[in-house]
Amino acid sequence: MHLDSARELKTALVQKHEPFVRRALMAGYRVRAAGPAAGARTISELGIGACAVTSVDAVQRTLALGITRSGRNDFRLAVRIQNRAFEHGPHIEAIHKQAKGEVDIRYIGRVVKRVAPWTQTRRRPLQVGTSIGHFSITAGTLGCFVKTRQGGQVRILSNNHVLADENRGVKGDAVIQPGRFDHGRKGRDTIGALDRFVTLKKRGANAVDAALAALRQGMQFDAGMLKGIGKLTGAGGVLDEDAAVSKVGRTTEVTHGRVTAFELDHVIVGYDIGNLRFDDQIEIEGSGSGPFSQGGDSGSLIVNATRQGVALLFAGGDQGGSNGQGLTYANPIATVLDRLKIDLLY
Amino acid sequence: MGKTIDIDRARAAKAKALTVFGDLVRVNGVGITRVGGGYGVKVNLSQHPPKGVRLPHEVDGVPVRVEYVGPITKRGLHHQKS
Repeated sequence: MHLDSARELKTALVQKHEPFVRRALMAGYRVRAAGPAAGARTISELGIGACAVTSVDAVQRTLALGITRSGRNDFRLAVRIQNRAFEHGPHIEAIHKQAKGEVDIRYIGRVVKRVAPWTQTRRRPLQVGTSIGHFSITAGTLGCFVKTRQGGQVRILSNNHVLADENRGVKGDAVIQPGRFDHGRKGRDTIGALDRFVTLKKRGANAVDAALAALRQGMQFDAGMLKGIGKLTGAGGVLDEDAAVSKVGRTTEVTHGRVTAFELDHVIVGYDIGNLRFDDQIEIEGSGSGPFSQGGDSGSLIVNATRQGVALLFAGGDQGGSNGQGLTYANPIATVLDRLKIDLLY
Repeated sequence: MGKTIDIDRARAAKAKALTVFGDLVRVNGVGITRVGGGYGVKVNLSQHPPKGVRLPHEVDGVPVRVEYVGPITKRGLHHQKS
């Protein structure tokens, strides 16, 4: 049928079945307020089994009506059943008849809200692998906690493009957790301030994309735990090809992979400020069928099989790798620690 | 069967591989990788080689593994300015 006809049919059906749908939706309220007798008729239609009155949902699942495409210019009514009790009931039969069979009926059951992964939510104490960022960027990942070699001050380690907005940040700028893209707000979610960063160079080769943030006074943090992987055991040395690695990051959470190349020079990485060259990098592919990282995982600490920190994730692509899911690029952690004069906290 | 390549020889070939491959295709990374029981050079390409271009399988006797990796970008989410 034409789209307009489908819309008219939908409106007509909504009006026809509205009294029942309203009665069904409200049955839960009546049952909760006055006991089963109050909603006896609809209770049998809704198929509510024997249970405590207080456990009956106030709003009951019924039918959802919409329109679906059945051809290029052909449409039909979409009926989505959210309660098994309706599957073979008189309402479905009546809808089928009125739509003259031009109807797509499916049981979809209970629809639940999408919950953001824990890595994208507000975490106190602060946790490794969660969403973070300079107040003006979207979001990256809190890599780990470190200690300055001079003075022993605690800092957060992540990428320059996460904490320092690609050289545009200045010392003292607010750093928020979760990041702005994950509904973090300056003030309410400010957990610290940009401390310092290694400048990203437009000319010549870069070695690291790294920055530090100082913690707001009294901010609690869990330094050593990589949720889903285990406790950090220190800093590791040089990575060889085929070494098994893992990380926890804001977008893909816990992933595992293996090193496919090291001492990689002349890697050209796209940034907002232009294409930048990196030398002496590590290349990683994801294990199994997924990528090792995606956008938002920037700044993740990568650990080896014995959970030693070995690299700082900063870039990636969608092509390549033995599973075809792209490759991830990371700075060797020893270079990052030396450049910023810090040590891992664990 | 050729002699197993040690890491120093692979490192020496890596620098030359950038020049050799750079003249033929768009290179986006030259590194060290494992080939067989020894080491070799990995050459990443940002574009597929033009038709008819034949790429070398080794440089100075060191095996070369070539992979198309496409463009590489920072792993942040897309930047949003208010």
